[in-house]
Amino acid sequence: MAGILFLLSAKLIQAQEDAFRYLDLIEKKYSGLKDYMADVNVHFDIEALKAPDMQAKLYFKSPDKMKVDSKRIFFFPKEGGFFNPFQFQKKNFEARVVEHLIYDGRKAVKLKLTPINIDTFNKGSVLTIDVDRNVIREIKILPSEGREITAVIAYGFFDGFDLPVHIKLQLDIPPSEPGGAKEFQFGQGGKRISGKVEITYSNYKVNSGLSDEIFAEKEFPGSRTRPR
Amino acid sequence: MKLFWFEIYKTFSRWRTYISFGFIALIVILTEVVMKLSANEILYRMLRSLEKDFLIFGNVLNGWFVTAFIMNSLHFHIPFLITLVAGDIVSSEATSGTVRFLLMRPPSRSRIIMAKYLTTLFYTTGLVIFLGLICVSLGLILFGNGDLIMNYQVPTIRIAFVPEADVPIRMLLAFAAAVWSMTVVASLAFLFSTLAENSIGPIIGTMAIVIVFFVVGNFPFDFFRTLSPYLFTTYMIFWQRFLDNPIPWQEIAKSAAVLGFHSVGLFLIAFAVFNRKDIKS
Repeated sequence: MAGILFLLSAKLIQAQEDAFRYLDLIEKKYSGLKDYMADVNVHFDIEALKAPDMQAKLYFKSPDKMKVDSKRIFFFPKEGGFFNPFQFQKKNFEARVVEHLIYDGRKAVKLKLTPINIDTFNKGSVLTIDVDRNVIREIKILPSEGREITAVIAYGFFDGFDLPVHIKLQLDIPPSEPGGAKEFQFGQGGKRISGKVEITYSNYKVNSGLSDEIFAEKEFPGSRTRPR
Repeated sequence: MKLFWFEIYKTFSRWRTYISFGFIALIVILTEVVMKLSANEILYRMLRSLEKDFLIFGNVLNGWFVTAFIMNSLHFHIPFLITLVAGDIVSSEATSGTVRFLLMRPPSRSRIIMAKYLTTLFYTTGLVIFLGLICVSLGLILFGNGDLIMNYQVPTIRIAFVPEADVPIRMLLAFAAAVWSMTVVASLAFLFSTLAENSIGPIIGTMAIVIVFFVVGNFPFDFFRTLSPYLFTTYMIFWQRFLDNPIPWQEIAKSAAVLGFHSVGLFLIAFAVFNRKDIKS
């Protein structure tokens, strides 16, 4: 019995190590990426959100600083719309290989990541990684609070790095709870909100030495400016 | 035309006419200053549902949004302020005993009632324009410019986004629609004014109808929902539709036609009543 348990746990550790190997390769590939900025265009195809395309400039500095600069109102999907190659850190997740597959004609592997912190909003993700290029091609955010989000990422090559040129998000989220009169409500009754958000990145500037000041939080009445 | 200007002069010579303008200025200034001071709380309440799924950047609580927010009060206080003049314009002649002197003059009853009605419309338009000017100017000074996001409940709950460049013309159309809506309230009060011998009755009568229709039209029961299309108050919020994306022109045309039909109908009844009225004092 003890032998079986030992074999099972050894198998589990082996599976975790394999899974992390793919994440390590991604981290290694992008280790030279200190920062980037790009123009972002967001196109909404959601019945409950009638909005024209929105444009902004997005700044990223490793490991996790992000800032969006827009003179106009800008809605940016909270999950899946923003590229950070360092977001899946070993210390935060348990990982296991789900399957090996051919994705878009290329060899790929599917990993399931489960957050170690059970309080976290995110219940986990399933990543599909192109193992030849070491890039994440698809992120499926596992249902949390009824939300299901899938991001499909297409890459271009900029200054030595594969960076997203197009992220297609498929959203399936529950309607907001009825709130006060002032509250913006999203979706009706028990009807779920489904739709697509397409994010296009262009005009990349990579490793231009973005200063930390760019990411300093500015918040003033009448506006929402929330760097992460 | 001379008669019209004479009525305008009479109306704007009364201090009570200016109560409405003063009240609107006070309400708008108070609302906008409080909104400015409570901006963070308002933003939190407004956006907490959206912020579950989106990061939101930019000036959401801008002058245009604040204007649209205050315009929602058109349901309540603007009709009351309109009735102060519209409900008084004919009946006050009876109260003060001047109606017989008025009718002894050469202009016909039809011309007199027409001049009084046009004066009522002039006042109504002026009041809504004043509301618009003060809301927008103070709003832009305190909150700045920006795109407009609106939350709609019908036909589905959704969020509409109007780009900054389109907002001024959309707002102009919305205020024109608001004037059109308020014309019905003015016409109703005007009709009651021709029927009554004092000013209180038309004011209370008009407000009672407006409030009852609004309440009945918004009850969440099937019976009241079936009544809703027959109440003019249902169509009075059609100004909001100019801030939708895309603009539902067909629905706007229907609402405008229903309201126009009411205004014309109410005026024609008032016209007939006044022409046939037996003036005894």
